[in-house]
Amino acid sequence: MEKIKYLLLKTIDITGLTFLAPVVRLCYREEPQVQLKKIGQWIIVPLIAVFIALFIIYDGFIVDTFKTKAGKLPTSSKIYSSYKSIDQLHDDELAKQRAYHLSGEERVEALNAVDEKISSAEESLKLATQAVKDEQKITDREKAKKVAPAEAEYAKLKEDIKAAAALRDEELRLLSESVTPGDGAAAQKLLERVRADNAQDSLDTEARNLAKEKTNSIRLEPSPELAERKTEETYHVERLAFLKIYKQLLSSKNKSLVIDEKKEKIAAYETELSVLTGADALKKAKSIVRQESVMGNKKESEYAGSKTIWYQVERSILCVFTGFLIGSIIAIPMGIFCGLNKTFMAIMTPFIAIFKPVSPIVWLPIILIVVMGAFPNPDKHPFMEFLAELPLIGVYKINPAFMASAVTVALCSLWATMANTALGVASIDKDHMNVARVLKLGFCARLFKIIIPSSLPLIFAGLRISLGVGWMVLIAAELLSSSEGIGKFVFDEFNNGSSDSLAKMVVVVFIVGIIGLILDRIMIIFQRLVSFEGSAATI
Amino acid sequence: MSFLELTNVDVSFGPPSNQVDILKNINLSVEENEFVAVIGFSGSGKSTLMNLLSGLQMPSNGSSSFKGSSIKEPGPELGMMFQNYSLLPWLSVGDNVKLAINRVFPKLSKSEVHEKMLHYVMMVKLDHAVDKKPHELSGGMRQRASLSRTLSLDPEVLLLDEPLSALDALTRSELQDQILNIWGNDKRTVVMITNDVDEAVLMADRIVPLTMGPGATLSKEFIVNIDRPRDRHTLNDDPEFMRLKSEITAFMLGLNKENKELKTESKVTMPDVRPKDFSLPSGAIKFSHLQKK
Repeated sequence: MEKIKYLLLKTIDITGLTFLAPVVRLCYREEPQVQLKKIGQWIIVPLIAVFIALFIIYDGFIVDTFKTKAGKLPTSSKIYSSYKSIDQLHDDELAKQRAYHLSGEERVEALNAVDEKISSAEESLKLATQAVKDEQKITDREKAKKVAPAEAEYAKLKEDIKAAAALRDEELRLLSESVTPGDGAAAQKLLERVRADNAQDSLDTEARNLAKEKTNSIRLEPSPELAERKTEETYHVERLAFLKIYKQLLSSKNKSLVIDEKKEKIAAYETELSVLTGADALKKAKSIVRQESVMGNKKESEYAGSKTIWYQVERSILCVFTGFLIGSIIAIPMGIFCGLNKTFMAIMTPFIAIFKPVSPIVWLPIILIVVMGAFPNPDKHPFMEFLAELPLIGVYKINPAFMASAVTVALCSLWATMANTALGVASIDKDHMNVARVLKLGFCARLFKIIIPSSLPLIFAGLRISLGVGWMVLIAAELLSSSEGIGKFVFDEFNNGSSDSLAKMVVVVFIVGIIGLILDRIMIIFQRLVSFEGSAATI
Repeated sequence: MSFLELTNVDVSFGPPSNQVDILKNINLSVEENEFVAVIGFSGSGKSTLMNLLSGLQMPSNGSSSFKGSSIKEPGPELGMMFQNYSLLPWLSVGDNVKLAINRVFPKLSKSEVHEKMLHYVMMVKLDHAVDKKPHELSGGMRQRASLSRTLSLDPEVLLLDEPLSALDALTRSELQDQILNIWGNDKRTVVMITNDVDEAVLMADRIVPLTMGPGATLSKEFIVNIDRPRDRHTLNDDPEFMRLKSEITAFMLGLNKENKELKTESKVTMPDVRPKDFSLPSGAIKFSHLQKK
């Protein structure tokens, strides 16, 4: 039993999840008071802080503070519901894909089941639409009531202003008539009065506009119940639309059905062909061959739907690792040479200093040109075809945009690794080098047996920073290069501008953050595995 | 031409205008299979002497030679045991020793290397810690591991830089016997630095004191004429041992006193500054000195 405990504790230590240690210790009844205190400190208090930050401060204060005409920040329940809708979209696309490929008995079964679902969905939609209509009536009535006083005020103000303006015009006319030619003082007075009149006019216009805005704002105030009913209705509309498309994919657009249709058609044509001759026969034969080729294409086809969030997440992760790998392959050997040879370091310093602070958004257009130039005909290029054939990765369809994003990630993230590697190699303990000298180790042996193991902790520290930077850079790079990934999702939502786009963006914030956290944890584990006592700082 | 020789060696660093001498006019010749002990105070440049002998450092003046040819670079024939162990921290004890063995005997098979490693590790009684990393060992164990690695090099000259200084008395005596044993069996040349007079008299053929730094030099030698094998239990009663011990100790203390006397007290003449006025400063501004103008 003790062995399991120590194994668990060692795993927790390596993975850096130290807040779980008191839980394990409590299970083994070791110093319960101390463990409870630690659990309170490391688990309960942070949870309470998150709870307060999210539900009380954010929902209570921040959401209401920043309101614009374009929209406002989503509350946490809205964020959760848009997460559900993104996930639902993913499930729907998967279902559609499966339906496309279904055939035979399963297809018929699914078709029958779907009809029932459609009818019940139509029912719910009817109810929801009715609810919306009812709510709309109520809201309109209430709104009218609310707006009435403001409207009355506005009308009165207009009237008052008009009357006052008319009075002033009359005064001005009288004054102007009283001015005799050559009477300078009177003319001045007239001028002043006209100016005053003008100023009063603009003040009046402002007041009028203010009152109008007030009525408008009351009118445009959204009613939360109406919004709720509307979202429900939209939900039912979407479900119904999905079910209809699903049914289509099981019937008229189903792959196996279409193929069977084509087969029948071809058989019919062939029987027709047997009784024809001459030009007709040729035409018929050609159309048969055409149908056959279409059928062939159909057999190979995949369901072409839009890509969903989880596919995009996986592709993003693949992209960041590709970029990270490219960057590390360049950075680590260069860093080692920099550390070993001061002249090389001096040569590299201007390049590093200038390229390090450059932002990925600036790199991307340049990289796009380079990559497009390297793969002028991406579909026919042997390297791209090779990548498409790879077992696991082929499904992600690597294209030049992907390569461009990966190269941008590499360029922006390799500097941290290079700097840390150079530092690690340059700061080896002199004693280790003395050992190498006494043992008369050759250059290769010295490099691989002493220099690299001694600087591994710093190299991994650099790699960890690089991966973090790379993940941040990736989203921007994907957004600009329209490579299918989280960046593209953000770009689509940004352009979409629908009512819950903002909530979806916040969901993306959390997704990106959690994935970044996991990547960081993985690197921490690697870092801890290679570090030894007396090695450089392992945070 | 003796086996290992230092002739008129100076070691100094810094620009010629502001040179600091560490060692001055060192002359040391070690015969083959001789056991020489160098005694010195801390900071006198003992490790620098060792670096010279092993080839890790070059003298500023003079020459060092090994078997007739000058020492240009370090190598496994001049087996150096460092004062701060220099064990590679990412390798276990066994792997550290294997690294040395693989270097010196590249043709051995894996099992032979393993056997050899175990032999040397058992020699220093570390077989229970073969797979431990250095940071998991105590200081004394690390020193033993370092000794084992140096011995596994099978060097012609053993250069020991205060090898037993961090050990407790019991382990120390054990290892002293072992080093003597190894030296006796294989008859290697040994140059050992130590600060323990007893140890030096017990183990060495010749004791050379190093005067105090900076500018330390080797002074009057003491030949140890006691027969081998020396038994530490009876040695305390041996009159020769007692004579040597008291002579050497007196000599070292004398060196220390000399050094202190040689130090000129820095007499810096202070300027004759006296306050004009002994009264306590008050808050009020005195305008008297302004009125003089």
